[in-house]
Amino acid sequence: MSDHRVVGKVGRVTGEIAPGHLGEVTIPIRGSSEAFLARCDGNQTVAVGARVLVLEYLPPRTVIISPEV
Amino acid sequence: MSVIGGSLVGIVIIAVVAVVIALAIFRSMWRVAEPNEALIISGLRHGKEDALGFKIVTGAGTFVVPGIQKVRRLDLGLHEAPLATDCVTQQGIKVQIQGVVIYKVGDDPASIASAARRFLDSKPADMDRNIQNLFDGHLRSIIGGITMEDLIRNRDKLTGETREAAGVDMQKLGLVIDSLQIKEITDPSHYIDSLAAPHVAEVQKSARIAQANADQDATQAEQAAAANKAQFVRDTAIKQAAYKADVDKASAEASQAGPLAEATAKQQVVVAATRTAQLEAGQKEQQLQVDVRKPADAQAYAITVKANADRDAAIAAAEARARQTTLQAQAEADATKLVGEAQGQASQARGEGEAAATKAKLLAEADGIQARSQALAQNQEAVIGQTIAESMPSIVEKAAGAFSKINNLTVFEGAEGMNKMLSGVVSAGMVILPLVRSVLAKTRDVKSSGNGDAGDTNVVQPLK
Repeated sequence: MSDHRVVGKVGRVTGEIAPGHLGEVTIPIRGSSEAFLARCDGNQTVAVGARVLVLEYLPPRTVIISPEV
Repeated sequence: MSVIGGSLVGIVIIAVVAVVIALAIFRSMWRVAEPNEALIISGLRHGKEDALGFKIVTGAGTFVVPGIQKVRRLDLGLHEAPLATDCVTQQGIKVQIQGVVIYKVGDDPASIASAARRFLDSKPADMDRNIQNLFDGHLRSIIGGITMEDLIRNRDKLTGETREAAGVDMQKLGLVIDSLQIKEITDPSHYIDSLAAPHVAEVQKSARIAQANADQDATQAEQAAAANKAQFVRDTAIKQAAYKADVDKASAEASQAGPLAEATAKQQVVVAATRTAQLEAGQKEQQLQVDVRKPADAQAYAITVKANADRDAAIAAAEARARQTTLQAQAEADATKLVGEAQGQASQARGEGEAAATKAKLLAEADGIQARSQALAQNQEAVIGQTIAESMPSIVEKAAGAFSKINNLTVFEGAEGMNKMLSGVVSAGMVILPLVRSVLAKTRDVKSSGNGDAGDTNVVQPLK
């Protein structure tokens, strides 16, 4: 069950992540893809379709992401 | 042996039974989680000290000790809850929203644990009702955060607002919103209709323009087609008329060909008949020439010849009589002269001699004989001519009398033949003429000798 971890995975934005607002990212996990609520660690907007790196997991369904450089 | 054998069989049976029992126990203890469910196993303490103390199994099987542990199943499948709420948009417009929210239990253990504690004993209908009540409030805040235009058009905006407003609450419950669908927006203030009106009018205008253009084009095409058709009809009629004229002409010529041929044939018949008539006329003329004219000519010729003969005879007779008279007068004059001369000479001779008288007397005698013979000769010729002239017509008549016995006389050489024939007759008479004349002269000589004697005496008498 090593696949249960989301931190360090690369996901794709499916709902725009604006500063102060929840966005949505889809992350491959448990042999499938699941949608997580997402916040950006910086003060920037991440558009739909961008690849992001999961920095932190806030159970049950929220992650902190960083735009992939 | 039998005791040992019997105990062995008993051992085998017992072993088999034991295996069967063991399998049955295993079967009763082994629980398998379906793909869409999670097994919540409680009873024995699991995990760390601060854990809730139940075990979550997904997608696998596990042992459950009956009586000690308890296993419950949590459905991880899709749920949907209908929504029907009166809302106010960001602009303060009242709308009635009918929609549906589709959600499920989150797949991570934290969500399953949260959901298990809240909904494990709930029936799906109860769960849906709870979510429905929850979302009625969330939906008001969602709709209140967006404008009417975004509600209609901007699905991302709706999704974002839904996530913003309800996402955190739902994850507290261990649920994930898959989708929020607005099925129907009832708009009592007709805001949407008003929004649509300009576009509807524009679209209607375009539609009417397009309709008008299409109608115009269609009418144009139809009229052009009608014009073309009329032209074709006209061309066809013209051609038909031309061909009909040709046909009429040909048929008229054909129908006239018969009468024309008939007329031509009739004309040829008339020409032939005319020719026949001309030939018949010629034949008749020739026939008349033969039957009427030639006989008439012959008759006329005969009459002419007879008249000429009569005239010649009359002339000859007159001449003979004039000659006779002349000769007689001369003879008398001579005689008188001789008498006078003789008397003068006699008177002279009386004076000269008898010989001269005798001589004069002999000379006078000789002259008298000569004169008498001349006179006789002249008289004889005239008499003969007169006799012939008088008898000539009867001779010719006798000769022509032979033709009068003939009813139909055919003369081959035509008028010439007739002339020949008639001249033959006449010339025959002319041949006879000298013969007649000689015969008449002889008879006259005989007669005149007698008369001469008498004349002699008459002339000489005075001398004697």
